[in-house]
Amino acid sequence: MAKREAPEINAGSMADIAFLLLIFFLVTTTMDKDTAYLRKIPKKVENVDSPPVQKKNIYKIVINSKQQIQARDSVIDISEIESLNGRIKHFYLVNRDKKTNREQNYPYYAFGTKELYQTNLDNNYNKLDALEAQEEMTEKIEKTIEQTMVAIEKWNEKLDMITMFSKYSGKREMPEIAFEAHVRLESFIDTDYSAYVAVQSEVQKAVTELRNEESEALFGITYSAMKKYYQQNLLEDTPKVREYREKMDLIENLFPLRIIEVKPNK
Amino acid sequence: MSKFRKKDGKGAPGINTSSLPDIVFMLLFFFMVATTTKEIDPLVQVRPATGVGLNDLTPFKQRSEVDFVYLGEPLSGDISKFEKGIAIQYDGIIHKDGIDHIDEWKQEKFASKPAEFTAPREEVITCFKADETVPMGIIFQARELLGNANFNSIGYYAQEKGNKRDYNIRQQ
Repeated sequence: MAKREAPEINAGSMADIAFLLLIFFLVTTTMDKDTAYLRKIPKKVENVDSPPVQKKNIYKIVINSKQQIQARDSVIDISEIESLNGRIKHFYLVNRDKKTNREQNYPYYAFGTKELYQTNLDNNYNKLDALEAQEEMTEKIEKTIEQTMVAIEKWNEKLDMITMFSKYSGKREMPEIAFEAHVRLESFIDTDYSAYVAVQSEVQKAVTELRNEESEALFGITYSAMKKYYQQNLLEDTPKVREYREKMDLIENLFPLRIIEVKPNK
Repeated sequence: MSKFRKKDGKGAPGINTSSLPDIVFMLLFFFMVATTTKEIDPLVQVRPATGVGLNDLTPFKQRSEVDFVYLGEPLSGDISKFEKGIAIQYDGIIHKDGIDHIDEWKQEKFASKPAEFTAPREEVITCFKADETVPMGIIFQARELLGNANFNSIGYYAQEKGNKRDYNIRQQ
């Protein structure tokens, strides 16, 4: 049989096809990413009387319907909104590492140690044993048992955290900001969305910067980098994801971001 | 006279275009990787607010854990028909009940998620894509409805402003 060469395929229209696809993708897609500030709506609790929060633990920011901002006792001009960043950092840091001579008007810190947490944990275990040894199970005792279980879980978590903190920082004591400390955001019904978001942005920025610094010092990686990795790989249960989750928990415990957003009524 | 060029019908030499498809394919792949698909055409005007340190929603979108609700002035139709001139768009339509429809819409969305979707309802984000002049009262109304229906995660949509630029806030 005579060997015949296969006829060459004309690829001249390949470019046309590729252009067609390219234009299709250009039209149907967008370049900009969707980005947002993620917040939680607090769960409903049925009329529980909570004790009043001390004034020093609240950082109150009010935005009125003319987009004027008041942070604690000072009025901030819209052009100086970026000073909120420094003010919020000050709120977090001023009493850190201070046991005496504390600023009266800012949240206090508690200094936990491994021994203290262990004692608390042991106390709760003893309490649980005593409760379970009771002969009669009333509703009240069952409720107390439940509460004790929750407390045990909490102290266990804290013990893990302080172990991790000591391991990376070499310090025995872990500074913990008062659990009530929070930023309170009040707006008016007619406050612009953009002004509200700008304040959210400044609060978020301040706390993220504090967290990044701390994380860099402890683990040599920023909090933002860990968070990004975690959010992308959330569904995979790999050791790295778990490790990042633990590290993030520790950082979030050291610099908690608690924003209370108040429903406007005027 | 051979000093002068004769007109002999020779044109410019042809350009080799055999690598053109490669170039175009390269562009095509670049755009496929760098862009995301548009969800819907907006029926309301949304000029995004700006901020820094925003959370990228792309991983949440890939897991379809985020639903968008659009708030702003309607692009067509009578503005005065809407309360405060703000229309609220759910997916493809502007609903006549406005913000009061948000919990029903969210319920429907949640019920129609595929079977392999495992995120609990508290963690399905409702993202407010609001125009910068939308009053906060509407958003807090929505927050209350969502909170009552146990959809506890929300997002305030904004775009990265960069460090040099100022926030665009309306001064009065």
